[in-house]
Amino acid sequence: MVKHALQRLTVAVVLRIVHAALIELRHLDSRVARELERLPDGASYAIHASASGPHLFVVWQDAHLRRVAGLSQAGCAIDIKAMPLAFSLFTGQMGLAQGYARHAFSVAGDVGDVMRLARLISLVEAYLFPKWMTRRILTDVPHTECSPLRVYARLCAGFLTGRYKLYFTETTPAP
Amino acid sequence: MMIPPYFEFQNAVKLLCGELALERIASELRHLGASRPLVLSDAVLAKIGTLSRVTQAMEAEGCPPADLFTDIPVDSSLLVVNRIAELYRSGHCDSLVAVGGGSVIDTAKGVRLVLSQQAEDILSLAGVENLCRGRHVPFLVVPTTAGTGSECTGAAVIRNDKTQVKMEFISPFVEPDVAVIDPRMTQGLPPRATASTGFDALCHAVEAATCLQANPLSTAYAHAAMELIMQNLEEATRNGSHREARFAMAVASTMAGIAFSNSMVGMVHAVGHALGGVCYVPHAVAMMILLPHVMRYNLSHAGDAYAALLPHLIGYPQAEGVPQAERAEAAISAIGQLRESLASLTGLPLTLSEAGVKEEDLERVAWVAINDGSLIVNPRSADEEQVLAVLKQAM
Ligand SMILES: [Fe+2]
Repeated sequence: MVKHALQRLTVAVVLRIVHAALIELRHLDSRVARELERLPDGASYAIHASASGPHLFVVWQDAHLRRVAGLSQAGCAIDIKAMPLAFSLFTGQMGLAQGYARHAFSVAGDVGDVMRLARLISLVEAYLFPKWMTRRILTDVPHTECSPLRVYARLCAGFLTGRYKLYFTETTPAP
Repeated sequence: MMIPPYFEFQNAVKLLCGELALERIASELRHLGASRPLVLSDAVLAKIGTLSRVTQAMEAEGCPPADLFTDIPVDSSLLVVNRIAELYRSGHCDSLVAVGGGSVIDTAKGVRLVLSQQAEDILSLAGVENLCRGRHVPFLVVPTTAGTGSECTGAAVIRNDKTQVKMEFISPFVEPDVAVIDPRMTQGLPPRATASTGFDALCHAVEAATCLQANPLSTAYAHAAMELIMQNLEEATRNGSHREARFAMAVASTMAGIAFSNSMVGMVHAVGHALGGVCYVPHAVAMMILLPHVMRYNLSHAGDAYAALLPHLIGYPQAEGVPQAERAEAAISAIGQLRESLASLTGLPLTLSEAGVKEEDLERVAWVAINDGSLIVNPRSADEEQVLAVLKQAM
C-alpha cells in the first residue's frame, strides 16, 4: 500500500512537471512550439494514471496550453491500466511507444492525437531524463536545442514563484 | 527470437477454410442464433456475380439475406457506417454478413460496433481498447481478396468524412465471429489485384514480425504467412485458376492478419494510409511501392529482425548459405525481387510518380503519416523530414 501511495504521489508530481515543461519548452525548442501551435484550438487531452490514480487534463485554447480541473469529454482520453504502469511511464522506465506495444493504456478518441502527444512527450523526456535513460525508452533520442539545465532552471523558478503548482488540481497556469 | 517483457495475443475468429465453405454460412448463422442477416458488399462484386455466389449458397441452405446493401464505396467512410446501421435497425435484421475486400469488411466492422455499443454515431467509438463488450451482433465475413487479413483483425480503419483522415477503431470486439475463406471467392481476381493485395499481406507479415509490438505468437503466424506468400503469390498472379496457389494465398493473408492484429504494422502502413488519404493511391499499390524503402530506413534498428525473415523468404537451405551479417540485406533484396517480378507480370507501378503522386503533395503526406497510429510501433521513430526523405526515394 505504501509503495502504491508513493507511486501515486510521484506520478501526480511528474504529470504537473510534464505540463509545465511543455509550456517552458514552447519558448526553448522550436519543435515543441511547432507541435503545440499546430494543435487545433480546443484540442483537449485527459490522462488518467489508472482508474483511481491522479489525472492531468489539458486544453489548447487561445494559443495556450492550460491545465484544467476536469473535462466533461476530452478529445483524447488516455487511460493507463494500472498504477505501476503509470509509474513506469512517468519515471523513464517505459516509453510511450513501449507502453502502447505493451497494452499499458487505452485511448478514447483519435489515435492521431496520441501521436502528437507522443512526439511532445519524447521531446520533454529528451530534456528531463539523462541520456542513458532516454536511450532505453526511445528508438531515437531527439537532440536538444538548449541545455537541459536551462529547462530545469525555468521549471524550478516556475514552481518556486507559484506560476506552476505541484499539489492543486484546479490551476490554470499563466502562459 | 526476442520475447518482450509483456505481450497480449487474441484471435477469437472461427475460420472456415476451403471447399464448400460458403455452403456452411447458413449453418453458422443458425448456431449464432441468427436468421435475418443483412448482407454487405460493393457494386462491383454484385455486378460480377461474386456476391450472388454467396447469397445463393445462403438461400439454398435455408438462410437467405433479410436485406442487401451493395453501395459500399472503395474508400468507405463513417457516414456510410452510420447509414448502414440505420438500415439494419429499420429492417429488423439480426446479424451481419460482409462479402468483400478491406473497405467492405472494415465498414461492416464499424456497423457491428455501432450496433453492439448501441451508439448513434461511429465517431464516438474511435480509439484503442476503449470499449466494453456490448450487445452481441452475429457477424460473418467472406473476404474476396487475399490481402487485407481484415477478417481476423481487431481493427477497423475508416475515413472521417470531415477531415478526410483515416480513423482507427481498435478493439477485440470488432473481430468477426466467423471468417469464411473459400478459394472460389478469389478465383476471378485479376492479376494486378492478386499481386498487389498479396503483397499487402506480405507487408502485414513483415511489419508484424519486426515492429516493437512483435511477440513470439504473432511472429510465428507472420513467418508462416511469409513462406506461403513467397511460394504462391507469383503463381496465383500468373495463373489465376491455380486453385492451390489461390487457397494458399487466402490462408496466408488470414495468418498475416492474425499476426498484425496482435503486433500492429509500422511505417509502411502509416505512409500508405497517408498516400491513400492525400493522393488516392490504392492501399495495396502503396504497400508495393514503399516496403523496400521503409525496410532500408529501418535497417539500422531492425537488422536482426530482418535477418530472421530470410529463411522464411528464400527457404532454410538457401538462407543457411548467407552469412549472418548479410541476411538483413538479403531479406530486403528477396522482397525486392518478388516486387519486380510482380510488376513485370502485371504492370503495377514501382514508384510513387508512376502511381500519380505529385512532388508538391509529399509534405502533406508526411504530415498525415506522422499522425498515423501505425507509426507508433515502427522499429525506428520518424519525424516529418525523415518520412519526407523516404517518400522522395520512392518517387
Ligand atoms: Fe495493409
